[in-house]
Amino acid sequence: MEWSASPMGSLGSEDDQARFASVVLPHLADAYALARWLTGDRADAEDVVQEACLRAFRGIGGFAGVNARAWVLTIVRHAAYAWLGKNRSAALVMVDDLEAVEQQQASDAPDSGPQTPEAALIAKADAARLEAAIAELPLPFRETLVLRDVQGLDYREIAEVTKVPIGTVMSRLARARRRLIERVGMDEPADAPGIAPANEARNEPRKVPRNQP
Amino acid sequence: MSPSTTDPKLLVHAYVDGELDPAHALEVERMLADDPALAAERQRVEALRGAIRERLPREQAPPELARRIATAIGLRSAAAQPPSRLSARPSWRALAASVLVAAVVASGATWFIGEGRGPDATADMVVASHMRALMAPASIDVASSDRHTVKPWFNGRIRYSPPVEDFATQGFPLIGGRLEVLAEEPVATLVYRHKQHLINLHVLPARLGNRYLALGATQREGFNILTRAQGGFVYVAVSDLNAQELGSLLQLAAR
Repeated sequence: MEWSASPMGSLGSEDDQARFASVVLPHLADAYALARWLTGDRADAEDVVQEACLRAFRGIGGFAGVNARAWVLTIVRHAAYAWLGKNRSAALVMVDDLEAVEQQQASDAPDSGPQTPEAALIAKADAARLEAAIAELPLPFRETLVLRDVQGLDYREIAEVTKVPIGTVMSRLARARRRLIERVGMDEPADAPGIAPANEARNEPRKVPRNQP
Repeated sequence: MSPSTTDPKLLVHAYVDGELDPAHALEVERMLADDPALAAERQRVEALRGAIRERLPREQAPPELARRIATAIGLRSAAAQPPSRLSARPSWRALAASVLVAAVVASGATWFIGEGRGPDATADMVVASHMRALMAPASIDVASSDRHTVKPWFNGRIRYSPPVEDFATQGFPLIGGRLEVLAEEPVATLVYRHKQHLINLHVLPARLGNRYLALGATQREGFNILTRAQGGFVYVAVSDLNAQELGSLLQLAAR
């Protein structure tokens, strides 16, 4: 993958460079983090961010000056999807299926998850478990969760970046968190005593561990 | 936000995220009080958010990436110069220089705008913003007592990150934050409550806030204004609360 070969020579006044430096560069860390969560790989994330920065630079005149971070992340996400389409089209095919499932499930009972782990168990999940659990989320859930809980965007900004209505942001976020709660709250590491081996049982329906009213 | 859903399971997330307007937030608080299963779900969501916030390492962009980008963007000026083994560097420096120029121009403009205002006009402006907030249907844009919700909310809206703390145990619960425009600058404003009084605490970086220090302790139309500088920030507290108690909050916030 070679991004840097694109002919930038005819583009970009010094004004554009200054604007790029003040609008885009402050959000480079967020851009890189989002690209890494979407591609799952640091080197790939660098390629995506570089491509996104070139796009942002070309389009800097079109930036309305309202929310630089959301604008930059929108471009990064777009570049990441283009990259995934080229290099890992399987990831995007799954997204279409998932959207269908998601819509179907939305009309089903909302509390499909019978698993209700303790908050204390979730609170002590370590970084590796959290990372793995987030990485396993299907793309639309993952990006919504990362934008909200890792990067701290609000719902309106997430709707803008991911190009879906706020209601969809809410349902995706709720689903993403539910999956993570089930994953990090129940799936105990082997060295923790007193908890049922969760790896084998993860895909099977389980009894509610506590009495529910 | 006024949510489009009434599903309590979704509303709990919006509540935890500080996305509900005060009326809906109250409604969810009532539901939480009545429904232990819902309250447990709220605890799980907050535990998850806390774990992500505290355990996941913050990702930094590799320095090499910033250089690569600067090189790609600055290609034109780099190409105009004779080839050099340092060809990547000048464009990065040019970029840095233009940032510096932009910063100087921006701060100069702010100073110019501020200069025209005497302390009287500044006090009027601060009180007017407080009264606007009292009259508005919602005096807060982000309703939350969780500083980890309020503080990141300012990200991307203003160019600095204000210190945010809840002082509920000292009698000053944080109820949220909003963006206020003072002297043409967007300013982080924290909203606290003490007894039945609403307190607006504007937090500005010194470069924007120093002119407010001239106000010292002022009274205007029955409202008290207190200012204090600490740690590179200027704090401007406005309320109908008496000056002594307002001063206690300022002491807590600006220490």
